[in-house]
Amino acid sequence: MAEIHLTIDGRTVTVKAGATVLHAARQAGIPIPTICDHKDLNPYGACRMCIVEIEGVRGFPTSCTTPAAEGMQVRTRSPELETLRRRTLELMFSGHPNTCLVCPHREACESMRPMATKAGRTTRCGFCSNREECDLRNMALQAGGRDLNLPTLYAAHNLERDDPFMDRDYNLCILCARCWRICEKIHGKPAISIINRGRQARVGTAFHKSHVHSGCTFCGSCIDICPTGTLTDRFARWHGKADTRADSACILCPEGCSLTAHVKGGQLVATAMTAFEPDSSLCALGRFGYAQIVNAPTRLLRPTIRDNGESFSVDWDSALDAAAAGLSKHESALGILVSAAASREDRHLYHLLAQELGAKFAAIPATPAGTKPLLPKWVTGPKKSRSSALILSGDFLEDKHLAGLDFLLVIDGLPSPAQERADVLLPAALLSEAEGTFRTASGQIKDLARSSRAPGMARPEWEILWDLGQKLGLKSMAFDSLDHITAAVGEDPAPQAFADAPRHDVRTLPAFYRGHRTADLVPALEAFGLSATPRPLKQDVSIEGFQLLETRELAPNMHLLRIKAPQVAAHAKPGQFVILMAKETSERTPYTLADWDAEAGSITLILEEVGRSSRELALLKAGEVLAHVSGPLGKPFPVAKKGTVVLGGGCYGIGAILPLARALRQAGNHVLSVIEASSAYLLFWEEELRAVSDEVRVATKDGSRGAYGGVQEVFQQIVDQQPVDIFIAVGCTFMMRMVAELTKPWNVPTFVALNPIMVDGTGMCGACRVSIHGETKFACIDGPFFDAHGVDWDELACRKSAYAREEVEALPQAVDLSALMFPGAARPRCGCGR
Amino acid sequence: MSFADIQQQARQSWMRFARPDVPRVLVGSATCGRAAGALDVLAAFREQCADDPALKGVDIHEVGCLGMCYAEPLVEIRGSEGSSVLYQGVGVDMVPDLVREHLGRGKPMVEHAACLMAGPPVEGLSRFQDLPMIRHQLRVVVRNCGIIDPSNIDHYLARGGYSGFTRALGMDQDAVIEEIKISGLRGRGGAGFPTGLKWSFARKSAGDVKYVVCNADEGDPGAFMDRSVLEGDPHAVLEGLLIAGYAIGAGHGYVYCRAEYPLAIERLRTAIAQMREKGLLGRNVLGAAFGFEITIKKGAGAFVCGEETALMQSIEGKRGMPRSRPPFPAVSGLFGKPTNINNVETLAAVSAILEKSGAWYAKIGTEKSKGTKTFSLAGKITRTGLIEVPMGISLRTIIEDIGGGVLHGKEFKAVQTGGPSGGCIPAKHFDLPVDYEHLAQVGSIMGSGGMIVIDHESCMVDVAKYFLEFTENESCGKCVPCRMGTQHLLRMLTDIAAGRGRVDDLETIRKIGDTMTKASLCGLGQTAPNPALTTLNSFMDEYLAHIEERKCPAGVCRALIRFSIDAGQCTGCMACTKACPVQAVAGKKKKPHRIDQNVCIRCGACRQACKEGAVMVE
Repeated sequence: MAEIHLTIDGRTVTVKAGATVLHAARQAGIPIPTICDHKDLNPYGACRMCIVEIEGVRGFPTSCTTPAAEGMQVRTRSPELETLRRRTLELMFSGHPNTCLVCPHREACESMRPMATKAGRTTRCGFCSNREECDLRNMALQAGGRDLNLPTLYAAHNLERDDPFMDRDYNLCILCARCWRICEKIHGKPAISIINRGRQARVGTAFHKSHVHSGCTFCGSCIDICPTGTLTDRFARWHGKADTRADSACILCPEGCSLTAHVKGGQLVATAMTAFEPDSSLCALGRFGYAQIVNAPTRLLRPTIRDNGESFSVDWDSALDAAAAGLSKHESALGILVSAAASREDRHLYHLLAQELGAKFAAIPATPAGTKPLLPKWVTGPKKSRSSALILSGDFLEDKHLAGLDFLLVIDGLPSPAQERADVLLPAALLSEAEGTFRTASGQIKDLARSSRAPGMARPEWEILWDLGQKLGLKSMAFDSLDHITAAVGEDPAPQAFADAPRHDVRTLPAFYRGHRTADLVPALEAFGLSATPRPLKQDVSIEGFQLLETRELAPNMHLLRIKAPQVAAHAKPGQFVILMAKETSERTPYTLADWDAEAGSITLILEEVGRSSRELALLKAGEVLAHVSGPLGKPFPVAKKGTVVLGGGCYGIGAILPLARALRQAGNHVLSVIEASSAYLLFWEEELRAVSDEVRVATKDGSRGAYGGVQEVFQQIVDQQPVDIFIAVGCTFMMRMVAELTKPWNVPTFVALNPIMVDGTGMCGACRVSIHGETKFACIDGPFFDAHGVDWDELACRKSAYAREEVEALPQAVDLSALMFPGAARPRCGCGR
Repeated sequence: MSFADIQQQARQSWMRFARPDVPRVLVGSATCGRAAGALDVLAAFREQCADDPALKGVDIHEVGCLGMCYAEPLVEIRGSEGSSVLYQGVGVDMVPDLVREHLGRGKPMVEHAACLMAGPPVEGLSRFQDLPMIRHQLRVVVRNCGIIDPSNIDHYLARGGYSGFTRALGMDQDAVIEEIKISGLRGRGGAGFPTGLKWSFARKSAGDVKYVVCNADEGDPGAFMDRSVLEGDPHAVLEGLLIAGYAIGAGHGYVYCRAEYPLAIERLRTAIAQMREKGLLGRNVLGAAFGFEITIKKGAGAFVCGEETALMQSIEGKRGMPRSRPPFPAVSGLFGKPTNINNVETLAAVSAILEKSGAWYAKIGTEKSKGTKTFSLAGKITRTGLIEVPMGISLRTIIEDIGGGVLHGKEFKAVQTGGPSGGCIPAKHFDLPVDYEHLAQVGSIMGSGGMIVIDHESCMVDVAKYFLEFTENESCGKCVPCRMGTQHLLRMLTDIAAGRGRVDDLETIRKIGDTMTKASLCGLGQTAPNPALTTLNSFMDEYLAHIEERKCPAGVCRALIRFSIDAGQCTGCMACTKACPVQAVAGKKKKPHRIDQNVCIRCGACRQACKEGAVMVE
């Protein structure tokens, strides 16, 4: 191929014909910023960050779209280019919550907030599930200063959380179009494209259809290529960036697609395509289901034996002994049923075992949705013809087939009816937890990587069988290593492929894994017509309780809830809180009272969506009923005349300081209220506070309203102007801590409302304990207000994050099928953009 | 049938139409005329003539637009006496009189007439070509508009139509391109790229399959040149497309026309069918070894689809979004094939050039801007309409002589040219010659030919805001500077108009404007800040008045004005109280009225209603 010589920044670069200027610069190690460019996509030229100057070419061409030409003189750096790039980046960030670029407290905040908060709407870094791997943020961090000081233009698109597996927040989208371009590349006709024009322009499906109805096959490539937090894997998003990636293959159907396991701290968080190529696409189950199966909360953890009808957890050795004893005893009538969704090695060892013991053997193939595999006669036939002892490596048999067995050994990772009857139960490692090889329908042999840790005491089946072979004294099953087993497998036949590959058609997704219904393990699969095990319908909607009178999203992610709770309203005092439960099965969570009306019998709360419980509450509609409201709880704030009182509120704290301001002013104090938000569009209740304060000041982290910074900057301003007698701060732990550190040298009494994890709220459980001046206090009954200068902030931060992983795992993965059926109901637009 | 036979046949058909002794009624029924009620007028003429046995033989035709929009509906009547008189502002109620007097008795009604089109002189009527609005015009592109029946190909043929194409067919392809080069014709879609050069690129591109495209996606607010030509003389454009196809070696042409132009599309359909009938389309056009087909593609009305790369995406069935060049369409265009795209007006000029010669065309205009240009004259001007003038004519001639000056004799403040991509030219440049170079010198552009006259009652902040509202809405959203830049410009202009502006906003507008100009992907984004930047340059004082004094000098920006009634001038006629939509004006008959500022919504209805000029704005 012909070569081209060009000069970039004075350096001669030689590239192959067809290369772009950007390729040439990269080849020469000259960095050019870009965001819409991606190595696996065709040039697009939308972000305009990669502009360069080329001699003889008018204006500022984008290097990603300009082919390198012989003798071309390119400049990638000049004062004008720098200015244009910085301003373009600022413009880009003005359409994306931009604290990464502008917040003066970013570094301090992140050092105290190692994990992102599981917010509904992402309005800042701390709420962004993508911040560890955000290309946009990396560009922002390198950009340095600002020039245009633009406010954020928050588009207020609805959050899209109705589709299976993916959460979409187009308020973060910068329209780099990587998503629909990769969709087009992999699937030909893309399921998504840019829709609408001007400020309404965004990525979406035709006519606002749900992705399930848009032709999307849920390969997840759009999520994996999205440079921002716009498109996210609902299961994986809050786990943070994977620390290990391992190439492996999917064994859930005969296709045996290659995949890359994403592992964080030994836990499989996702599986994704190995390359952004059409041949590498995955089906919905391979892309999104794998991690959910492996992380199923019902996983079998311990070897168990049954004796006289009672089951006991035992160590591996005892369990294997029991298994070997049982098998020896029932050798003559033994049958072994395994799943085809297993490694060749596992299957080979089962087969060897069957040969050695003279047992019947069958491997149950994977089948697409709507079909059921045929079981051999010797398990379903007339009782006399059946095997009376079984080894089951999965959930294949109904209760009627299991009754009356003389011996049952279950080797599996997931629960089943057979487990209840098993004489010996051995917990197996699944999927990414065991190594081996897999033969695909096309005959290829692929390596399976062991990339994540099996839960509890679960072990790979080949290890279990190997040990079992030793216990039974079977010489043919004595191998030196897994490699020897692999070598011994020989030429096994390739499995029969599905008529239509699941990665091309969501209607053919495998319905079973080891006989377990995939929809039981991956609830969102119900959206594709896969059925889960019928469960008794349990109404979890409260009929009696506390009526929600009003609910409104005051600012993105900030919800006002007015609840009928006459007893609480009658006794509430400033500074107190309540504990709410949305449903009878909900967690108890505390919320500060933002206002109340004793006469009307209602209380008002400001709630920020930051996890499962607050989301349940935020999604309630007016007229619905909360299962529980208890309160007022906590000590009221000691309201007295002290002189000048300065209140600081951030996030939900803006609501929390309102009753305090009112009461303190009524008590004769001069009250200054200070509120902060990341940007002007996130502020609320400014007027309400003005009505109960002598003065209200505002701070924003992007300077779009009031002071540039947060509450602490304004506190400093106030102290420079006048004497202050008390400071009170309510908001995130970071803000309260900053205030505490700021006011400490001033020797002005400072109070903060602490927000540790709380359960009962009445001083019984001790979950909310905090250390104040070295003394243990309960935030629920001794607080919530404490002397800010005595708080052990590190301990508080540590205790607050104690259940971080459990909180992430508690987020719902199922989809609301009725919301999927009528996605357009709330959006009566035609899609033309007007 | 040879082309000579076709022409002969057409001439006969035209003779019947043009014979001075046959009474004839021509109703200007382009979209502009229809909007003014031309179809009702047409029906009324048909009805009247049908009722009278003596008038059974009257020829009644629809014709295109003569460009005198201010006088629509226009009807040309030729009575038995042979004088063709153009009547203006014809309403259905006038039809019986016109039929009786002019058609019946051969007595033109001078009181309703605009001018004499042809035939023996009529006392008190000047000839069409002597009208102040027409005198300075040179009608090349609109040569047939309003004169011929656009649905009759014979009319076009008889007036020289398709002779340019037959001439081209007799020439070498390169010679055709050379002819265009000699003419000096530059693209009339806005950018002004030399047409001959553009053709030569596509001609040189390798490949058997090539395309020519007619860009009829006229989208500038207030621009209607292309529509008028398509509605009034579709063959002039199609002939140009045919010539372009022959010259570059394309076998297929597309006309990309916005769906909002249903009449233009209908006329195009009819014209294409007629072309086929006459052998002007098909495998061997006029028996030559040149095959050509034309497809009409309706656009859904996105402004950006006028941009050629976006337009091609749209024809391909994709979302209309521009892409970076290179590759240029001449190398890789529609469906990846070499493609040449020309605007409607350019193609209509092409057919004239091939008919009359490039040298003839090159004599018109200035050294660098040859030929004529159409403009839609709109805004605060006495005679709104579609005009065609030689390049280099002064703004003053256009506005004062052709347009009749600013409406109601008010003071001229600025003229906006080039639509949303253009700029505002202040009064001090009144004598500027209108051509590509001079318009660019003062920060504006020729664009596709919108020309909006602005008087002292128009606020320049409001004008800029209007255009930014348009571009903000029409930005395709692909590139960052345009998508976000238009939003921020509009936000700041809205703030300034609402009295919330800050002085540093002006600097930010300049910085963002500069970024958009230099870093946007396509022409839309690169030129979108122009309305803001040019008004900022020429009318800084008006911006500062909004920001520092919280006042709108023109009395337009609602948040900054208040209406009051001068008790001395008010006669108490109650006209304003009736006009007020919110009952903010109180007062008794024959007593001075008052406006309640708390109720007033500053719509200005009272001011418009007042005959005494007693309603003041400050």
